[in-house]
Amino acid sequence: MSDLLLDLSRSRGLKKALGAAGVSLPLPEPLRRQPGPISSRPLEGRVVAVGVPGGARLSAALAEALPALGASIEVDGDAAPFRGPAEAFGRGVSTSGAGPLDGLVLDATGLAAPDELLALHTFFQPRLGRLSRSGKVVIIARRSAPIAARAVVGLAKSLGKELGKSGGTANVILAEDGADVSVAGPLGFFLSSKSAFVSGQVVTVRPGGAPSRPRSLDGKVAVVTGAARGIGRDTVRALAAEGAWVLCVDRPDDDAETSRVARALGGAALGLDVTDPAAGDKLRAALGDRSIDVLVHNAGVTRDKTLARMKPADFSLAVDVSLGAVVRITERVLAEGRLSKGGRVIALSSIAGLAGNLGQTNYAAAKAGVIGYVESLAARLAEQEITVNAIAPGFIETRMTAAVPLFIREAGRRLSSLGQGGQPSDVADAITFLATPAAAGITGQVLRVCGQSFLGA
Amino acid sequence: MSNRRRCVVVGGARTPFVKAFTSFTELDSVALGRLAVAGLLARTGVARGDIQSIVWGGVILPSASPNVGREIALDLSLIDVEAQTVTRACASSLSAITTAASAIERGDCDVAIAGGSDSTSNAEIKLPQKVVHAMAPLALGKPKPADYLTAVGKLAPFSDVLPTRPRIAERTTGEVMGEAAERMATRNEITREAQDAFAARSHHRAAAAAEAGLLADEIVPVEAPGGWVHQDGMIRGDTTVDKLAKLRPAFAKGGTITAGNASALTDGAAAVLLMSEERAKALGFTPKAVVSSWAYAAVDPADQLLIGPAMAVPRALDRAGLSLEDADLVDFHEAFAAQVLSVEKALASDAFAKLRLGRERAVGRIDPARFNVHGGSLALGHPFGATGARLVTTMANELARTGKRSAVLGICAAGGLGAAAVLTRPLEILDNLGARQLAA
Repeated sequence: MSDLLLDLSRSRGLKKALGAAGVSLPLPEPLRRQPGPISSRPLEGRVVAVGVPGGARLSAALAEALPALGASIEVDGDAAPFRGPAEAFGRGVSTSGAGPLDGLVLDATGLAAPDELLALHTFFQPRLGRLSRSGKVVIIARRSAPIAARAVVGLAKSLGKELGKSGGTANVILAEDGADVSVAGPLGFFLSSKSAFVSGQVVTVRPGGAPSRPRSLDGKVAVVTGAARGIGRDTVRALAAEGAWVLCVDRPDDDAETSRVARALGGAALGLDVTDPAAGDKLRAALGDRSIDVLVHNAGVTRDKTLARMKPADFSLAVDVSLGAVVRITERVLAEGRLSKGGRVIALSSIAGLAGNLGQTNYAAAKAGVIGYVESLAARLAEQEITVNAIAPGFIETRMTAAVPLFIREAGRRLSSLGQGGQPSDVADAITFLATPAAAGITGQVLRVCGQSFLGA
Repeated sequence: MSNRRRCVVVGGARTPFVKAFTSFTELDSVALGRLAVAGLLARTGVARGDIQSIVWGGVILPSASPNVGREIALDLSLIDVEAQTVTRACASSLSAITTAASAIERGDCDVAIAGGSDSTSNAEIKLPQKVVHAMAPLALGKPKPADYLTAVGKLAPFSDVLPTRPRIAERTTGEVMGEAAERMATRNEITREAQDAFAARSHHRAAAAAEAGLLADEIVPVEAPGGWVHQDGMIRGDTTVDKLAKLRPAFAKGGTITAGNASALTDGAAAVLLMSEERAKALGFTPKAVVSSWAYAAVDPADQLLIGPAMAVPRALDRAGLSLEDADLVDFHEAFAAQVLSVEKALASDAFAKLRLGRERAVGRIDPARFNVHGGSLALGHPFGATGARLVTTMANELARTGKRSAVLGICAAGGLGAAAVLTRPLEILDNLGARQLAA
């Protein structure tokens, strides 16, 4: 289903004509996206301003990460640590500038007390006017400085709302002690065009992450449920583009579609109802002696009705597909020891699971339950370096949302900082990021891909 | 003493290097190669019957006879000399030399000629694939009138049907090499002044080498259709930084790369005579240098296209057991002054060593007094396929002439390739190895 306002916004002539006619429409900004596999230098040719107010602790890590990603750097603060690494990658470091900026990164790890928070204003305020369309703001704070950590989240979420109309995003990375190098992965993701629809988010990183690199899933085995269309289809494509062998799982009815997708990727298809009691056996048979490196639970159904009018069968179906099957299949795979060390479990939640949604008591219960499972499982599997996370999509332009009545659909699109729906590829890119070694420091968390939807935020 | 077979350089020869579309226009890549090899045979006096193999390098290969090496052999009546032709962009003739050296070290061969040639003047004008595919039914078989109509239909709309001008552009990025060098100049902060000063130095040193007769040691005069050519055509001993500063940027508005600090399109050929140490001794030759080590590397062409030597040089040095400071001579191909200076800067950078090469410390600084002592491609010109053999010839002669011990060569090449080799003086190395083994 096309988005009329976004289409209008894409047409310069129409935009002008509307302006001349005095018609003021809240036209959303077409987002800058990067299709295809993760590139070796996702920030090639982009200029990123880095703020390192006194006491900032991550200069060395940022100095190595940003030029490697292809960015040129403008430093506000002590530029000395940035010069060597920039030289190694043939990138400039300046200490002032007036040109457009593609990203703003503030290393707020030196901030703790309330009176130090002025540094946030000092860095961002003079530079916001230079931030390009689809510009990226990332603030890094220390988890062990509780006041500052919460404060930057508040600032980032508000700033996201300011930037949304020009396609900009603002996100926060909370670094645990010793997680300096792990910051590079989420930093690269938030600064790149792979996170076009991710805004107002906070991720906590622990030690263990590695910088982003292309083809990092070479030789890995991924299993994705609900792979025949929409988010699932884009996810298997994105995982395969990073080198993974993908087992595409979808309902037996969709066998033709699933097979077509799998064939195109050199993966395999499995017609399987995830709620089938024999699902575990069938999955095992399809995998042969392969172990799973990336398990993505994407299958889901809606059976919307107010609770007052909902039949028990509709309640339990929604809960069983989105939650029951997730738990059963994951536990079975774990019991068989078939999830590789360093593996990934990624389950699809929903902003409905965070905020609740009229007519979705069943769906929201299931999607919220997923978060509870992810949080508990992450702790259980930490020893094995397996990360477990949830992705909570907002309004995504899929077959499912195209069927939503017009008025509700429009509300879903517009009630967000970016003022538009996301693409299935936006969710696929976030899932793929979590599947890569760059996200090894992220576990037990919920990453929303919602354009900073106002629901539950 | 080491038991390993070693490959030695017995001698080298090259044609004069002249600007494309000047005196060598009617000499194609095979003809230029034949002249260089004939000169090498005459200079060294090697018996034709002792030559076993030719390994030739070229970039713009004639499509009707791409094995240029064998064509040269046939033209020189070296009927039983087997030959191959290798292509590795501007590192092609270095590739030819190290391919031959490998064969000699392995014991597959004892006497080989390796070199390369290119004639930019004879680059074939390419018809667009659209035209080729549309015309195929007409060229093959017996076309009917209807086939002509079909072909015309396939060509419409009549865009992209004119032959394309050959350009040195990367296939994957579409970027012309000068643009890549321009970006490298910006990114590595290489100023116009530094580039022009380097270019002027190249010309002055090449002119001094020509004056001293050193270039005559490597050049064999060529009888071109317009008369004899005895020397290189592009050296300007009288150029100055001020003169170079007046030239307009060639690739970007406000850019720094000019015709004066970039190497020009050139026609020419160079060849070296390689032998196993034992055979050289048996045949009574005094080797000029040993081909001690070599290395090839690659970087992403979309990043810094011509930085490859900064990766390859340290590898070749490691394999030879030398440091950059140990090398008595450093000779880099000068595609662009900005490119050489970028590579020099990378090699001198601790951060580059740590983050890009995984080494503790910078590879090293290059003493200007040892660096491209007789000028380089900026002054002499750069026939793509001949430059590697030109470097080996110049450095082998220089080692033999001065008694110095080692030279490291570096070449950047299209596709993000870097190439490097280390030449050493035979006796010194034997002594060193002997001493090392005694110490052990």
